Amino acid sequence: MGGSGPSGRDVLRQAIKGQRRDVALGSLLGAGHQAGEALVPVLIGVVIDQAVAGGDATSLLVWLAVLAVVYVGLSFSFRFGARAGERAAEQAAHILRVRLVTRVVDPRGGAEDGRLPGALTSIATEDAKRVGTVAMAVMFGFSALMGLLVGAVVLLRISIPLGLVVLVGTPVLLLAGHLLSKPLERRSEAEQERTAHASGVAADLVTGLRVLKGIGAESAAVARYRRTSRDSLVATLRAARAEAVQNGLVLTLTGVFIAVVALVGGRLAVEGDISLGQLVSAVGLALFLLGPLEVFSWVNTDFAQARASATRIAGVLAAPPGVEPGGARLPERLRGALRLRGVGHGSLRGIDLDVAPGEVLGVAATDPADATALLRCLSRQADPDTGVIELDGVPLRDLDPADVRTAMLVAEHDADLFEGTLRGNVAAAASDPEAVLAAMAAAGADEVALAVPRGGDTAVSERGRSLSGGQRQRVALARALAADRPVLVVHDPTTAVDAVTEARIAAGVRDLRRGRTTILVTTSPALLAVADRVALLDGGRIADTGPHADLVERHAAYRTAVLS
Amino acid sequence: MTDQPADHTTDRATDQMADHTGGSGRSSEPGGPARELLPTATPAETRAAVRDLLRPHRGLAAAGFAVMVGATAVGLATQPLLGRIVDLVAERHPAGALTLPVALLGIVAVAQGVTTALGLSLVSRLGETVLARLRERFVDRALRLPLERVEKAGSGDLTARVTADVSQVAEAVRTALPELARSLLSIVLTLVALAVLDWRFLVAALLAVPVQAHTARWYVRNAVPLYARQRVAAGAQQQQLLDTIGGAATVRAFRLEAEHIDRVTLRSWSAVELTMRGVRLVLRFYSRLHVAEYTGLAAVLIAGFVLVRDGFASIGTATAAALYFHGLFGPINSALVLIDDAQSAGASLARLVGVTAAPAEGHGPGRATDHLDEHGQEDTGARSAGDAAVTVSGLGHAYEPDRPVLHDVDLVLRTGERVALVGASGAGKTTLAKLVAGVHRPATGSVRLAVASDDGRPVALVTQEVHVFAGPLADDLRLARPDATDDDLREALARVNALDWAEALPDGIRTVVGEGGRRLTPTQVQRIALARLILADPPVAVLDEATAEAGSTGARALESAAGRAIEGRTALVVAHRLTQAATADRVVVMDAGRIVEIGAHDELRAAGGRYAALWEAWSDTRARHLPGPSRPANHDPQHTTNPQST
Repeated sequence: MGGSGPSGRDVLRQAIKGQRRDVALGSLLGAGHQAGEALVPVLIGVVIDQAVAGGDATSLLVWLAVLAVVYVGLSFSFRFGARAGERAAEQAAHILRVRLVTRVVDPRGGAEDGRLPGALTSIATEDAKRVGTVAMAVMFGFSALMGLLVGAVVLLRISIPLGLVVLVGTPVLLLAGHLLSKPLERRSEAEQERTAHASGVAADLVTGLRVLKGIGAESAAVARYRRTSRDSLVATLRAARAEAVQNGLVLTLTGVFIAVVALVGGRLAVEGDISLGQLVSAVGLALFLLGPLEVFSWVNTDFAQARASATRIAGVLAAPPGVEPGGARLPERLRGALRLRGVGHGSLRGIDLDVAPGEVLGVAATDPADATALLRCLSRQADPDTGVIELDGVPLRDLDPADVRTAMLVAEHDADLFEGTLRGNVAAAASDPEAVLAAMAAAGADEVALAVPRGGDTAVSERGRSLSGGQRQRVALARALAADRPVLVVHDPTTAVDAVTEARIAAGVRDLRRGRTTILVTTSPALLAVADRVALLDGGRIADTGPHADLVERHAAYRTAVLS
Repeated sequence: MTDQPADHTTDRATDQMADHTGGSGRSSEPGGPARELLPTATPAETRAAVRDLLRPHRGLAAAGFAVMVGATAVGLATQPLLGRIVDLVAERHPAGALTLPVALLGIVAVAQGVTTALGLSLVSRLGETVLARLRERFVDRALRLPLERVEKAGSGDLTARVTADVSQVAEAVRTALPELARSLLSIVLTLVALAVLDWRFLVAALLAVPVQAHTARWYVRNAVPLYARQRVAAGAQQQQLLDTIGGAATVRAFRLEAEHIDRVTLRSWSAVELTMRGVRLVLRFYSRLHVAEYTGLAAVLIAGFVLVRDGFASIGTATAAALYFHGLFGPINSALVLIDDAQSAGASLARLVGVTAAPAEGHGPGRATDHLDEHGQEDTGARSAGDAAVTVSGLGHAYEPDRPVLHDVDLVLRTGERVALVGASGAGKTTLAKLVAGVHRPATGSVRLAVASDDGRPVALVTQEVHVFAGPLADDLRLARPDATDDDLREALARVNALDWAEALPDGIRTVVGEGGRRLTPTQVQRIALARLILADPPVAVLDEATAEAGSTGARALESAAGRAIEGRTALVVAHRLTQAATADRVVVMDAGRIVEIGAHDELRAAGGRYAALWEAWSDTRARHLPGPSRPANHDPQHTTNPQST
């Protein structure tokens, strides 16, 4: 994946090509199955003609045996052909799913910009599946073509005029059906959207259940849903009526077509041009051929849907990266010195800041937007618009973002916990079990473990929702400490923690990070008080640096941001 | 895969066991969350619910059925007419004789089309109307479930039912059921038509039935447990994707990319494997159906041969019989395959009915505690400040048996009083707040409210957990008070300092917000929650850490908005920042699930107990270096200037 990733067409082509063996096998066997299905009505005609009309028992047995062989063939080819097709579809979807997730978590980032997690998840499930279905569609399309060819050959051999009537008639019939139902289809699409809307409203209300309960708005919500549901019912009924009419129309057209075939075939038979059995076969084939032709129309729909899905997938795969990796390397032994010169990004207006190796620096921002912008640059989610950030003298811009993060962890305020146990979450990025215990103690997560039912083995579910806000923050902080990175930047790690615990955590963090560069981006005085030095970030610039106590005395802006 | 037959009573038994024993019926996954899914209805309950839903539409159901029978019967005239043409040819009639049966074929086609269109539209009207009633009833009951029950089941359970299960049932009603009905009608009427041709044709055709019946039973037996596992695997895959994609920034920050890609690959692949097992099962099912097809077709052809030879039937009749049977392949296959859809729709329906048939709550919506209206007789307006608005006595609670989080709490909230709850994380503040708000049913003791509950909900709860409802902002706010005018809404927004940005939205308060609409900042969302509180206008308000996530500056602004929102109400505020405690009328200090101190801010500080220690820890970090004049008014100089407090 370079700067310009694959297009929707590439995604589609790769999905089929990647499964070419199964697709080929499926198509071949599927063709065999369709040929078999085409032969069944032909054989019925033959049995009527040769055995029933002639009263020939031997011929009956012979043709029934032939019919049996055809059945064995069509049954096996269907079973193994469809299996290959389904396997191709599932595997293609799986590969796309993994590729999508790989792109989303790529260190260079950028894939989730402007896309909600729910939307991305739906691309990784629904859209991947639809693209996978193309493998099946190719197989079915090819098989149907084969069935059509066998039918056509048999029909034309029975009688050229009758064959032409059927071969021209079936597509005309289907075309007429589609043309007649086109306006209906368009209408039903709009109405389906209304239905989807009703389902969305219900899901939204259930998601906000706690809020509804909190203010006693259940009845109002139910009343609102009932209105939406009624609107959607009216729309659905219109769509359903349209569909019923379409069904009736198709049935009528098919019936008329069979009547025409019977008329032409009957006349040919009366004149002796074709046999009785051939008449029966022709009628049977006319009915059969509608099947493969139907397949073509839904294969078409599948392809249209898959193209739309593939475009969405390609959009994610080809998303421009948030940052580009450079070729520089960090020194083997990292001292952990940070140097910011003239850094401008978002609301930042030229930040100059030096962090000495092993220093614990507090950064207090009067505007949360400044803090966020600084953190984005430090974690290399974005590069500064102006100026430079250097780690041990190497500009971050010249490094691979993955290398930056191995050296320097930026633990965000809203960091997510993952499915797994409480201890497993803390140990996620830790190399040393000792570090896990120490980190849990320093962050006060040991107390969290004591407070939950199964201690450190308690499962964390729904991205940590099963814990309280304060518990979640302490576990997340413990995870950041346990990762034991040469440089650690934490953002507002204790906003939901009580004052006593917060003071203990501040001391714990200070102790545990002794001798390693640590930046505390926060307005909590408890944390700022343990920093060697605090930088006041005001109006997009570093307004002052100094110990917490000094800044409190010197700066009204600092007092307002930090105290009260 | 077990050989157990599909049996919903097993699920039911497990549910009930979980209800009785608490722990033992729960998820046995090691370290898995203790889940207790919402109830699933038994087949009998489901049938009763469907009957109940259909009852008002009996006329429509009868008309739809009658028209569909007529449509199918008309269509079955096709094969005998084709047989008649074969006979005319066999008997060497002139070509002109074909005109009549061909014309009749045309008439049959038109009649069949018209009746089918009418029948299908009647059937879908019936299905859709019943479906709409079902989903409305479901949402109604779902929103009124006790929150405690929903939380025990995990919020995913209810969401899955309201989305996946509703759409599964809808899909079945829209496509599977009409198709199934048509197929079954064709099968039954075709068999009747075969019997009309000659009863021996029917006997021959029925030879296929034992194979089909056996196949269907075999399939259902194997498919049901497999589909249950497929659903679980699909759910796990979805959850993992949300986990990884939603937490992508964290995954990158901690360099967990490889591990998460592995997790997704594993979950996705196990879903693929289960799907393929399902595919192999379905395909074996088709193979067996092919055997049945061949058996029946051969038997009908042999019957035709014998009957024609012995002069009981014409060649045309034998042709019609063979065409009838060949025409049965489609309906039989779709009927048997639709068993599948019907099966999963049935399972979904049972999950929906399980919720709609769940026992209702005793008292007002969402309220688990008793509302004893002790002072309700009094004129509410005449109740003076100082009367008990909420009386908590002997309250105890445990989320897990044997792990009590609240012990023997007694507390009286006086009317109009603002009480702050203070304590370390895990001290039981949130639990007490939830019990007072009626979210949880107390294990022991009681919460009594002395407020009239006829005018909406007496206690409102605003928590950190916030949500913006998708749709216009005004509609969101009106959930709290449906009859509010636009001016009411603006006034409520103004009280929480949210009117300016709300008016600045592209369409003002009509701007579509929430999922699919404009995204709001957490602070804006929190203000909307407070505006809703003002509109709901409850006499008692419980606020739980509502300002904790806004950062220091934002927290202060939100605090003052919250203060205005609870003006004139009896309020219980879970104080995260001690400034909230300092401005409260009384402070309640909790520790390890008990109340350890109660009193006014100044009293408690003077008492030198736990609150005094907390306050010192707080003010120490904040005010140690703070010169006198810029201190908040209610800070005690003696404390704030005393540096050796730890």
